[in-house]
Amino acid sequence: MSRREGSLEDPQADSSISPLPHLEAKIRQTHSLARLLTKYAEQLLQEYVQHQGDPFGRPGFSPPRLPVAGLSAPAPGHAGLPAPERLRLDAAALTALPPLLDVVRRRQAELNPRAPRLLLRLEEAARQARALGAAVEAVLAALGADETRGPRPEPAVVATNAAAAAPDAGVFPAKVLGLRVCGLYREWVSRTEGDLGQLVPGGPA
Amino acid sequence: MPAGRSGPAAQSARRPPLLLPLLLLCVLGAPRAGSGAHMAVISPQDPTLLIGSSLQATCSVHGDPPGATAEGLYWTLNGRRLAPELSRVLNTSTLALALANLNGSRQQSGDNLVCHARDGSILAGSCLYVGLPPEKPFNISCWSKNMKDLTCRWTPGAHGETFLHTNYSLKYKLRWYGQDNTCEEYHTVGPHSCHIPKDLALFTPYEIWVEATNRLGSARSDVLTLDILDVVTTDPPPDVHVSRVGGLEDQLSVRWVSPPALKDFLFQAKYQIRYRVEDSVDWKVVDDVSNQTSCRLAGLKPGTVYFVQVRCNPFGIYGSKKAGIWSEWSHPTAASTPRSERPGPGGGACEPRGGEPSSGPVRRELKQFLGWLKKHAYCSNLSFRLYDQWRAWMQKTHKTRNQDEGILPSGRRGTTRGPAR
Repeated sequence: MSRREGSLEDPQADSSISPLPHLEAKIRQTHSLARLLTKYAEQLLQEYVQHQGDPFGRPGFSPPRLPVAGLSAPAPGHAGLPAPERLRLDAAALTALPPLLDVVRRRQAELNPRAPRLLLRLEEAARQARALGAAVEAVLAALGADETRGPRPEPAVVATNAAAAAPDAGVFPAKVLGLRVCGLYREWVSRTEGDLGQLVPGGPA
Repeated sequence: MPAGRSGPAAQSARRPPLLLPLLLLCVLGAPRAGSGAHMAVISPQDPTLLIGSSLQATCSVHGDPPGATAEGLYWTLNGRRLAPELSRVLNTSTLALALANLNGSRQQSGDNLVCHARDGSILAGSCLYVGLPPEKPFNISCWSKNMKDLTCRWTPGAHGETFLHTNYSLKYKLRWYGQDNTCEEYHTVGPHSCHIPKDLALFTPYEIWVEATNRLGSARSDVLTLDILDVVTTDPPPDVHVSRVGGLEDQLSVRWVSPPALKDFLFQAKYQIRYRVEDSVDWKVVDDVSNQTSCRLAGLKPGTVYFVQVRCNPFGIYGSKKAGIWSEWSHPTAASTPRSERPGPGGGACEPRGGEPSSGPVRRELKQFLGWLKKHAYCSNLSFRLYDQWRAWMQKTHKTRNQDEGILPSGRRGTTRGPAR
């Protein structure tokens, strides 16, 4: 694996004191977490569409895939970026997701108050995104690549998201927003799993 | 499918158009890159309607002309395309829809009414809430566990299903004074229940009622008035033990302890025992086990395993005249009667143990007779224990005599003397 692709070799390490085992363990652990959360994110999406009613969840249902303020989907060129840059983008997205998931949960608490499992999954997703984001940042720090951070959502944007899901905003747009956020959560967690998987020793290059 | 014709104005709660937040514009209104797409607005937004009513809606397309036209637009409701005859073009940029005789909403988050462009892309959506106002909740029942709390249960209005999210709120207040309070712990013993954990007064009546509210209205139950002391229940009696009574083949002795939380108050408590044979589902119930903590079951089948349970009614707490509420049954306790080849009688009743005051007329009379004998016939050794020993001896003798006479248990024939029954 070349350094450009994200080698685990630390050029500053003294060969007699190797931090590699710890770093490897950390990467494996974070990769396992991301894999688990990818599964949970898929379950969240299924639970979400079930409670919004048709056509949400139907094959072919595609509301406009427009960016949610403060967070966009992984860019098409994401996979071609250096590993540290990919992980920085992953960490930034995972940091942006919890407030969005909270907004969706609050609105769903009004629209679907008798769906405790959905509300619980949304709450857990916010916590899990925070945890995974912190773990990715720890990996970046261990790689010595955490100096620059990706874009973070500004408070004004988060407030806008909250306003969009407020009771006086339309219900259908709120449902679409929630679908978009759950979809982004799944995309970014899956993306993080893929990016970490490339760093796991013995994993795909 | 609802019929399509123009009708009176929709019975809807119209929401005035508000300034669209930036995010909504981003999600649904901003043109997609390279597509020349338009945005649209459905009116009314998120209306609430009665089942069977009609809806008139419009989808108005905005955007750069040319292309901002209502031609080719169509509607779907919950993902299902609506018949073209339900729609009509009002003007170049507005498509109207007329739905009649609406059914109740399929999901509580609202039916999804969507306006599509010719290519199927979604231009706008609105959620319909079609249902019924709530009916009056009824059949409120409440109980207090050990005078510490209050749990109430009720039945929703006569038809139950309103097709809309209906919120139920249990309210209570002291009858003669005080403000209305709202119960906060819902669904504790089922979907329509609430638990008030503390700060309840005794010796004074409460008024309790349930309010049901949804988008179409509200309803209130009748008021239930009660004193906490009149609806007390308690835990099942602990430490239930079942044991044999010497060699008596048709009896078992049951002992238990008063529920500890109320043991200092249970002066008039009633207990009930139920028992069944191991392989049966039919329980026999022994009533009138008043304020005792032991009982003897009689008339049982010999050589049979029995399951026994006990429950308590804390009747008469602090002088309450009401019936009280039975506790749950204790965990089943099992024991077996001694084996005998002669099947015993099937019935049973609770009999007092030896030496205890009699509760049955036969034993009461026997006790009187024994007392008289002791006094007048100088039979100082007479006692109930002696009587029970005599009964055991009688049963043994009876068995031997039956064997001698060839009377054997059913299903087996005597081979030596006389025909079998």
